Amino acid sequence: MAVLAATEARIAARDPLLNCFTALTLERARREAQAVDAQRAAGIALPPLAGVPYAVKNLFDIDGLTTLAGGKVNAGEPAASADAELIVRMRAAGAVLVGALNMDEHAYGFSTENTHFGATRNPHDRARISGGSSGGSAAAVAAGLVPITLGSDTNGSIRVPASLCGIFGLKPTFGRLPRTGSFPFVHSLDHLGPFAASVADLAAAYDALQGPDARDHACAQRPREAVGTVLQLPTGVRIAVLGGWFHDWAGPAARAAVACAAQALGASTMVELHGAASARSAAFIITGAEGGALHRLRLTTRYDEYEPLSRDRLVAGSLIPAAWLAQAQRIRQQVYLEAMQLFSDWDVLIAPATPVAAPLIGSAEIDINGQQLPMRPNLGLLTQPISCLGLPVCAVPVRPQTAGALPLGVQLIAAPWREDLCLAAARALEAAGVAVVIAPPAFA
Amino acid sequence: MDTNLEAYVRAALRLQGYVFDEARIADVVRHFAHFDATARAFTETALPHTLEPATVFRP
Repeated sequence: MAVLAATEARIAARDPLLNCFTALTLERARREAQAVDAQRAAGIALPPLAGVPYAVKNLFDIDGLTTLAGGKVNAGEPAASADAELIVRMRAAGAVLVGALNMDEHAYGFSTENTHFGATRNPHDRARISGGSSGGSAAAVAAGLVPITLGSDTNGSIRVPASLCGIFGLKPTFGRLPRTGSFPFVHSLDHLGPFAASVADLAAAYDALQGPDARDHACAQRPREAVGTVLQLPTGVRIAVLGGWFHDWAGPAARAAVACAAQALGASTMVELHGAASARSAAFIITGAEGGALHRLRLTTRYDEYEPLSRDRLVAGSLIPAAWLAQAQRIRQQVYLEAMQLFSDWDVLIAPATPVAAPLIGSAEIDINGQQLPMRPNLGLLTQPISCLGLPVCAVPVRPQTAGALPLGVQLIAAPWREDLCLAAARALEAAGVAVVIAPPAFA
Repeated sequence: MDTNLEAYVRAALRLQGYVFDEARIADVVRHFAHFDATARAFTETALPHTLEPATVFRP
């Protein structure tokens, strides 16, 4: 209860400055914390996350709350009658749910500038975006409101905000974690995963979340493969840097962050995923088509209730020809096969997570090496090719000298089901002092 | 603006049941043009007939 009280106080003091939370679940949190205290008092062995406060992106079902998925259009829907499966697992691990977090509407964005619920501000500079679509999840950890949060990643929505807020985020292999009880965006691309301020916390949350669930068709029916707390890179591990697309679309600070990580991990070879551009394009089309189709019916009757920043893109997506979608899913498979060839030579690949550090709230464009690109669809251009292939990735915060006061993330990518390698590489960078979570001065 | 593309969007909007004013249609056309430009990265790529899509379906 003491930990929860301190968490409540921090949220009360800091969240009005950031707008991370859209709902607090403090009565429930007190019940969960009391249950942990009772276990401890009775001398019962405590579960691994006993008493640890956490919060979830508001697309997770929370029993008794309406699942908003960032959408005002969902506000009139009935309350969820059960928790999402990952919340059930966090509770079983002893964690204490304190609330739901802000996001881009229906996860279609990289900035968490939600017109209806307000923008979530970056704790390192409140004039800047937190990234998205799991912006509330990343900012809440970066500002020290809670040590662990959960989010979703369809095209980069864990890795982009983790990068811009300077924390750790894990996008597991597609199908590793069940999505049961979460509001979908793109069924064939949606992943769920945790954020944390340390690799140990990230790994502990990931282990608590693992396990099959037949209710999610995309969830692999494979046993839990706990990564534990040791997290050591195997002797002779082969690590390379992804060049090509991932170098060309990275700004100077992002390139410097990759160079720092590569040097610390002894990665001196640059390799190329030639299909990266195609995979990114395929992800963009699959997202538009599936996301648009999911919302088409309501868009024809309730358009005005949708997010002005993304509703026309969603409508346009619903018009994508079937032939483009079918081709995109085949391209996805082709590039996946190319990536598997790369993993016959390499165990971990390093790439930047975002092309630039956090833009100012309201920015229409970002500048990448002199090229002006629309900000909202392009902050994820380095994450999209990887999630399109379903590969596990740990985003780690690297702050080289050239990045100034703002953090930037690096992706540590492995072959399917090798989250252990992503996390071990992250731990190695953390131990070397290269991947560091720095408390923003205003929230230190 | 590509008139074929705009004509496609107008027809597809009608087919899908959207009723929008001209300003809104123009915005949708702009977004669709971005999808079109993006899709061109792979729509003309010849793929082996045996290459299956990556979608998950487990009956």
